[in-house]
Amino acid sequence: MSTVSLLGLSAALLLAGALVSLVLGGRRKASGWASVGFVGAAGVALWAVVVRTFSAGPDPEVTLLSLPAIGAGFVVSVDCLSAIFLAITGTIGFLTTLYSVEYMTRYRTDSVAKYYPLLQLLFAGIVGVVATGDFVFFLVFWELMTFASFFLVTFEREVRANQRAGFKYFVVNQAATFGMIAAALILWTRSGSFRFSAMRDALGGLVTTQPALAHLVLFLFFMGFATKAGILPMGDWLPDAYPAAPSGATAAFGGTMTKLGVYGLLRVFLYFLPLSPVTRTWGLAIALAGAVSLFVGTLTALKQDDIKRLMSFHVIGQVGYMFLGIGLGLFFLPSNPTLAALGLLAGTFHMINHSLYKSCLFLGAGAVAFRTGTRSLSALGGLRAFMPATAMYALTAALAIAGVPPLNGFASKWLMYATAILGGKAFPLFAVLGIVAMFISLVTLASFLKYLGSAFLGPPSPLRGVREVPASMLVPQAFLALACVVFGLVPAWPLAFVHRALTGLASAASLPRLESLLGDGPGLQAGSDLVRVAFWAPLPIAAALALLGLAAYFLIQRAAGAPVRNVPVWTCGEEAGPELSRYPATSLYLPFKRAFQGIYPSIHLRAPAFPSWLRRAFDLDAWLYLPVARAVEGGARAVSRTHVGIPQVYLLWIVVGAIAVVGIVLAFLG
Amino acid sequence: MTAVLLLMVIVPALGAVLAGVLGKRRAPVVAVAAAAVVAVLAVWSVATSFGTSYRDAVGTLPWLTGAVDSPVFGVLLDPLGSVLLLVATLIGFLTVLYSAAYMGERNRDHAVVLSQQGPYYFRLLLFLASMVGVALAPNFLQLFLFWELTTVCSWSLIAFYGNEKSLRAGFKALLITHIGGLFFLLAVLILFVQTRSFAFGALAQLPESLRRWVFLFLMIAAWAKAAQVPFHTWLPDAMEAPTPISAYLHAAAMVKAGVFLMARAVSSGWAMPPGLGMLMGAMALVTMFLALSYYFVQDDLKRLLAYSTIAHLGYVLLGVALGALGSITGFRGGVLHIACHGFSKATLFLCAGAIVYATGTRSISALGGLARSMPLTAVAFFVGLLAVTGVPPFACFWSKFMLLEGAMKLGGIVGPVLVGLVLVESLISFGWMLRVGQKIFLGPVTPVAAVNSDPPWPMSVTLVALMIGCLVIPAVAMPLVQLIGR
Amino acid sequence: MNTGLLWTVGLAVLSVALALLLAPLYEGLMRKLKAAIHSRIGPPITQPYLDLFKLLGKEDLRTAGGLLYTAAPALSLGSVLLLALLVPMGARPPFAFAGDIVVLLYVSAISAVLLMLTAFGSGSPYASVGSSREMMMLLSVEPVMVVALVVGALKAGTLATGDIIAWQLEHGPTISMAIAGIAFFLALQAQAGKLPFDIPEADQEIMGGPLIEQSGPRLALFRWAAWSKQFVLAVLLVEVFLPWPGTGVFALDLVLTLVKAFVVLVVVALVDVVNPRLRIDQAMQYYLRVAFSSIAALAFAVIGM
Repeated sequence: MSTVSLLGLSAALLLAGALVSLVLGGRRKASGWASVGFVGAAGVALWAVVVRTFSAGPDPEVTLLSLPAIGAGFVVSVDCLSAIFLAITGTIGFLTTLYSVEYMTRYRTDSVAKYYPLLQLLFAGIVGVVATGDFVFFLVFWELMTFASFFLVTFEREVRANQRAGFKYFVVNQAATFGMIAAALILWTRSGSFRFSAMRDALGGLVTTQPALAHLVLFLFFMGFATKAGILPMGDWLPDAYPAAPSGATAAFGGTMTKLGVYGLLRVFLYFLPLSPVTRTWGLAIALAGAVSLFVGTLTALKQDDIKRLMSFHVIGQVGYMFLGIGLGLFFLPSNPTLAALGLLAGTFHMINHSLYKSCLFLGAGAVAFRTGTRSLSALGGLRAFMPATAMYALTAALAIAGVPPLNGFASKWLMYATAILGGKAFPLFAVLGIVAMFISLVTLASFLKYLGSAFLGPPSPLRGVREVPASMLVPQAFLALACVVFGLVPAWPLAFVHRALTGLASAASLPRLESLLGDGPGLQAGSDLVRVAFWAPLPIAAALALLGLAAYFLIQRAAGAPVRNVPVWTCGEEAGPELSRYPATSLYLPFKRAFQGIYPSIHLRAPAFPSWLRRAFDLDAWLYLPVARAVEGGARAVSRTHVGIPQVYLLWIVVGAIAVVGIVLAFLG
Repeated sequence: MTAVLLLMVIVPALGAVLAGVLGKRRAPVVAVAAAAVVAVLAVWSVATSFGTSYRDAVGTLPWLTGAVDSPVFGVLLDPLGSVLLLVATLIGFLTVLYSAAYMGERNRDHAVVLSQQGPYYFRLLLFLASMVGVALAPNFLQLFLFWELTTVCSWSLIAFYGNEKSLRAGFKALLITHIGGLFFLLAVLILFVQTRSFAFGALAQLPESLRRWVFLFLMIAAWAKAAQVPFHTWLPDAMEAPTPISAYLHAAAMVKAGVFLMARAVSSGWAMPPGLGMLMGAMALVTMFLALSYYFVQDDLKRLLAYSTIAHLGYVLLGVALGALGSITGFRGGVLHIACHGFSKATLFLCAGAIVYATGTRSISALGGLARSMPLTAVAFFVGLLAVTGVPPFACFWSKFMLLEGAMKLGGIVGPVLVGLVLVESLISFGWMLRVGQKIFLGPVTPVAAVNSDPPWPMSVTLVALMIGCLVIPAVAMPLVQLIGR
Repeated sequence: MNTGLLWTVGLAVLSVALALLLAPLYEGLMRKLKAAIHSRIGPPITQPYLDLFKLLGKEDLRTAGGLLYTAAPALSLGSVLLLALLVPMGARPPFAFAGDIVVLLYVSAISAVLLMLTAFGSGSPYASVGSSREMMMLLSVEPVMVVALVVGALKAGTLATGDIIAWQLEHGPTISMAIAGIAFFLALQAQAGKLPFDIPEADQEIMGGPLIEQSGPRLALFRWAAWSKQFVLAVLLVEVFLPWPGTGVFALDLVLTLVKAFVVLVVVALVDVVNPRLRIDQAMQYYLRVAFSSIAALAFAVIGM
């Protein structure tokens, strides 16, 4: 089957799934399992597209529908970059839907009829966004995605905070979209078409003839995608909106939807924008935006008590990493292809990694909420004893996001640091950004140690009856955690696909071959063909760590043969229950948090107040129509007063009138 | 073809009489049947005449001597008229169907007794007939006649409930729109005296100095009819009418007659002086932003929708103005907006109707959490909301997008500035509408909203049909507007 | 090839052995020195070995279970030994092919991560307080180490530890590297958990902090890991920032390195003995200042000094 028919099939499956799950809405699990089936089937179709695209190369563009009236057409165009996003969507989509089946039984009053259909619409929108080659339809799918996710965010409709979050989300994203519409229109006046290739030509022309306008266009695109991705300050909506959605949907947002901001960024800056000095400028801007976001977002995450909110702030931070990597890559694109390739690979690979571990983390947080009914770290504790599997997956994903080697988060961060530090020679600021990124990586670690320590470790919380979540909720987490490990151990394998996707974009076509960049082993050796300047080989490191750890355990600890005894926690002899001797999550790192408080200013937007004088001025009824009407009415009344009904008076009027007429006639004649 | 087109005027007119005579229980049946016939005929005729412009003469006025284009009566079905025809007949049919349930004794806002059914459907169908007449008018005279007929129907329907408030509102609407009508008449007279013709094309033959005045008068007429600044004050008051009337007359059809007149005048010969075009565009922008400023103080859902309608008619006039300034894409976008806005705003109004029907209140602050008890209405309202604020893939996105393209085509600094202003207006109104939607349907359930359920089937069916309309109308209307050209 | 492989394996075994076996000796020497300054006799130099031996045989009291909790002490020691493989000792690091300075920095944090996870897992509030402090110290100290090593990377244009040293040997001392070295040394004080920065353990306040619930072999392994880490980091310091004279003869270089590391640790012990413990916020401020001052090294490196 061709790419188009496979995509059509998957879209049809998703829409059919939406309908079926809507019809089955009354029966929670039936609706859920039906959705799993449809999303799974669609996922298979998407993976078929992916395999086809990577094995046989991208299919030629196909125009399915042409709208000459607005100069747009529904062009299906899947290249390797799209394929990567299709793979992510197919996988994460299926896993989150599977997870939702049990999870959604949690909501007693809210029907799943407003969950599964929208979730599948969201996936359909994402597929559409990455599969189209025409900007108008890109926007159509983009908005389909936005409003589907809006209704997912406002799923718990009676919770005021969720409503506010949804509102902010939708309005902010709409503003961003409007900016992109304006940008697209500016390009359209040059090209007369919204095809990506035409927009590339138009932007190329603009860069040489009207650089200011080109910068405006790029700015609008950047704002649009950065908003969706959650780059601060535009991403302020994210920490409110993500926690509001049901956890399955949150994981889908974190794993797929946020990533489309990165997709758009790559599409615009590596495809629309031909290689030029402008690329360099915007690379710097994007890197700085990313650095600000990762710094502020992650430090703010440290303060959170709500686990999903904490993770949402980390989404901002992690997206900051992606932007930093891509920005570095773009900066070096015109001058140093090796560093450019490293940066772009780092950012894009980090995006994939983030999809894996952040989805896993959100699912884990959902599992905790599912069993305990709370998301507050202060109320949780000791869950490892009751939910060992969830705890293990959460631990893996948490260490991955914190960049602990040899997990996947470290692989992409390592590439990024290497780029930043090596690029620091040419542009010292980048070395500083690299150092900041490394520091923030530690803050991420601190934040997730807090999560693990407060929720899963330590003395048990007072919550009763907590047990492990059902298998259908564990399998997605297990899969994602495993993927984190695998991608960490053999980063070269996913990177090969990322590299193909990047070199498939016109402006990045001249990047060096992957082997000459990173060597041809399973590990990574950054450098050019001759000189290797950075090394990361996860397999030997992991093997050595495991070997040395086992040796220490068996040859030292166990060899001594000390007896083991389980004892209660020593509380200096005082009879204190676990509630009294708990160290609350809010107290962790207090001096450090205090040092960085106020880093995240909160902005309150009020409804615009129109000056009342203006409104009064336009209240024509009050000062124009009513007075006029009253004057007319008054005049008519005055006239009517002359009609008194007495014949003598009428006779008098006749006489007076006759005299007047005669007088006038005489006056004119004379 | 001529017969079919004439039937479209005659059937509802006859239906009106029949409904008025039969009254009581049979009136809704007759009305629905008549409206259905008209809708089917309209779709058929638009489909068969697609791509062409059908024109035929049917009669003349023997005493009107000296006219160059006698006979003066006839039918004209061209792409521009087709758009209005489709909007008027399809939404007309849906409104009649909706009314069958809405205008009943179980309406908690305003129970309608059986004896009122006859007059109601008489007026409604008469309006439908006159609206078809407007859409099919081949010249200014016939357009004027049907136009005034719609004004009269509008007056009687606004005042339908017969209480003090609605009588006042009806009278106000009549006065203002009729003053507009007088300007229209003045323009037509000047045209006839000068060119001995009522034809649309005759506008281009006028000498420059007179043409300016004629266009100005036509514009004033259009402003009054379409509730544009400075004549916007009647429309919010007209919300005293029964809700289906607000949806049909004051969102989808009658007010569209005003902008339709301008579209006709501009597109026949493209002879509008650019200065006036700019004035029209500027006033459209002023209207949009003024109406927007009223959003924030509205607690009455229907009045809010009325202001939104005013703003959207501003969009259409902006598009027409773009056409006058030389941007055909903008003109097409404006015309497309007639159709798209018609369907989306009708959806919103009829949802408001469903709410009023079930709860008896239209105060936004009193409503809340209705989605629980009225899920279908909630879905329809949000579809309408997204459609009217221009979120793709729903209706108004396409028309607004085309309008923006048209604005960009103007070039210079004006185009981008227009685009920016329109986007700003869209964003703010989107935000406010979304907020209102959330307030009414999501959030905690308020006491008023506690016990109700989705409306009876004729209303529900209407809402579903309109939702589908919000999705497909651009696909139907876009090929039509594409045919409008120089 | 084969000799190369043999050499690597031999070097790896040697590094691990040195880190494992020599570290307690250095700790013993430091204790002896401190006792001398205190005018005490002090424990014998072999006391750390005896401590470890004794602890390994003691009863293992556990307040929690689970795979991670059980494996953490051994893994912690394992991670420090892995760190030894990434650090040069008289020659290029044996695992130079597998990790550069970035990897090295991250591997050096693993033991702390495991310690903190164990502490949280143990369920003692003192351990939680200790972990919280440990994390804050890590947050304060790591940036300093990062800046110091990045200066080297910037100068040498490579991230490979061995190549940075080679560059140092070739180009001689520079201002930037001197500043970076001082910064790294200041960080070492905290990494070694010595006064005035033994805040996480702070025996007198929170009774060993993260280690409060650790006993017997588990405590032994954690202690051993800490001593090894302090030794390995001292070696790293002298290798990267004071590699001279660099004779090229492996045995000689190794001995020189060990001597230099000893001198460094002596200074650490001296600082330890004459300072009272700081509060955590004071320590954070102190390292913040150090980090910002070390940015100066970065600036010098950029202008080539």
